[in-house]
Amino acid sequence: MTKEKPAGFNRRELLQATATVAAGYTAVPLLAACSSSDARPAKIGVLLPYSGIYAVLGESITEGIRMYLDEIGNQSGGRRIEIITEDSQMMPDVAQQKARKLVEQDEVDFVAGIVSTGVLYGLRDYFDSAKKLLICANAGGNKISRELRTPYIWRTSFSNWQPNWPLGDWAYKNVAQKVFMSAPDYGAGHNMVDAFANSFQALGGQILGMQFTPFPTMGDPAPFITEIQGLDPPMVFCFYSGASAVAFVQSYGEFGLTDNIPLVCAGFTVEEDVLPAQGTAALGALSSLHWSLLIDNPINKRFTSAYKNRTGKDANVFAVQGYDTGRVIAELLIAVQGDTSDVSRMIDYLAGISFDSPRGPFNLDSQSQNPSQHIYVRRVDEVDGALHNVVIEDLGAFTDPGDNSLG
Amino acid sequence: METLVIQTLNGLVFSMLLFVMAAGLSLIFGQMDVINLAHGAFYLLGGYIGFTMIRQYENYWLALIIAPVIVGTIGFIIEYAILRRIYGRHHHLNQVLFTFGLALVAADLIRWNWGSYVITVAAPPQLQGQVPFLGIQFPVYRLAVITFGLTIGAILWIGIERTRIGMILRAGVSDAKLLSGFGVNIQLVFSGVFAMGTALAALAGVIGAPIHSLYPGLDFEILILTLAVVVVGGLGTLKGAFLGSLLIGMADTFGKTFLPEFALFLIFAVMASVLILRPSGLWGLRGQR
Repeated sequence: MTKEKPAGFNRRELLQATATVAAGYTAVPLLAACSSSDARPAKIGVLLPYSGIYAVLGESITEGIRMYLDEIGNQSGGRRIEIITEDSQMMPDVAQQKARKLVEQDEVDFVAGIVSTGVLYGLRDYFDSAKKLLICANAGGNKISRELRTPYIWRTSFSNWQPNWPLGDWAYKNVAQKVFMSAPDYGAGHNMVDAFANSFQALGGQILGMQFTPFPTMGDPAPFITEIQGLDPPMVFCFYSGASAVAFVQSYGEFGLTDNIPLVCAGFTVEEDVLPAQGTAALGALSSLHWSLLIDNPINKRFTSAYKNRTGKDANVFAVQGYDTGRVIAELLIAVQGDTSDVSRMIDYLAGISFDSPRGPFNLDSQSQNPSQHIYVRRVDEVDGALHNVVIEDLGAFTDPGDNSLG
Repeated sequence: METLVIQTLNGLVFSMLLFVMAAGLSLIFGQMDVINLAHGAFYLLGGYIGFTMIRQYENYWLALIIAPVIVGTIGFIIEYAILRRIYGRHHHLNQVLFTFGLALVAADLIRWNWGSYVITVAAPPQLQGQVPFLGIQFPVYRLAVITFGLTIGAILWIGIERTRIGMILRAGVSDAKLLSGFGVNIQLVFSGVFAMGTALAALAGVIGAPIHSLYPGLDFEILILTLAVVVVGGLGTLKGAFLGSLLIGMADTFGKTFLPEFALFLIFAVMASVLILRPSGLWGLRGQR
């Protein structure tokens, strides 16, 4: 939908035009070319949790998006870029309402954000029927790359399968051949466990037991840690995020397991947002993820130091995903020369987007509508007096299979 | 078998934490007929103030005393300035709305001041590490939490049953108007009780911080469990708070052990059955109000 503009110049445009003419004739055709496509700003509706247990994720993603947009002067493809934020409160019904508000009332060109898989699945049909683009900056539910795939939802983050399937293989070869598994009882928890188990069992690995813990609030994890202690497995695989990640890993240390049973986990469990709180309980934890604060490439170095300057905090994977979300939208605007009216044309361009991200090479895969990206194995170590995830191996690029054949 | 004993111990730790919370909530209700929905916020505020004090002075024990004093003072001021205007049976809705609003405001202020990152608090150096127990390592701090809970319970029991102040409190529960007729400054008693109740929440916050960490949203998690405790145990009595805590703490722990997928459900199933069979709770001030 486009708003009808009143005929003639308004005051600001008149001033701008005068200034441009004064600046020289050569600038006129260029400016005209840029503003002719559409003078309205391109609006991004950012829908994220800003309250509750995943507030940090919402804040980090927003900061990442804003940081990229600031770097390019908040304009791309000849259009100024504006952000409108809304709090999803992590509730599918609230998110639905806010998405409608952004699309129908604010008339945004894109919606970006979404932290939890439940919210993403809940929004899927709306974006599919409204034919609006949703750029998912976190929620990793496999189904959105598989049976629930729609041309209107693209991810700049990851699929839950992505970090865990390579890790099952690596852990079998490098840590132990038997495992006990622990994850929260919701979509993402099951996705991650299934992916790890698939490659782990393919090599002959044995699963000693599994526990699925209450979600979203686990409460006191002691009963779960005691169960692990009783079984005394040679390795534990887990996935937790946010406050649950702190609770689980902290109890793991409190009951003295950190030094005795290797903890192998989906990288979110010991990511930079929770690592300072986990402290030494997380020491030695092995995890896989599509990024680490310490990846040694120039873009990551520039990104991490700029983020720290800007926020006073170390960057985390969510901020990287936000940063790349900003970039994908900006690149898309360049590709369509600022013309966001034709969604199917934008979708054609999305499939080809690739660039060097702080996480390494980033390619939007046209089949899974999710990035093809490198997966890194990391170990929690003390670096310059603080705990960080040190990259110990780059497992190469992985692409979601697009079906359930590999877990 | 060993695992069962250890799980019982885990259940006891959680129960004792809930008990300190529930005792405060119950004390306020028994005396003032007010359900304080900001109780979880006072828990979190106590925890965060404790965290700041521990970081500043590196002394857990100081935090354990000062945080409840600060939060208790805030409670006193709130009762004195606002809450006392909305006492009485016909004001129940106002009280609920007021304390719920207070909880929301407090949550935002806490987030504004301490941020939304998860914060952990280390156990005091004397209570760190584990002791071998039945073939596993059990954290010393968790054993200490059981001791804290029992000690606080004993002090409260003696205070209520064996002292002059306790006598006034018990009389207040029976008939506040008559008590004021005997020349007791009932307004002061109410302010004191509210301060005491909120201080207990803050105390639980400091005790619980090394186990549950601190983060936005924890206030309502804890509040809901505490409400479950008082619904099951019955409001207004120390015994109800104690036994209710044990029931809910054990239901939580053994639910997680045997039926992890239904752990939360189990707590509320216990609560629902009690509500059906004995609406005033198992050991509450039944039928008096």
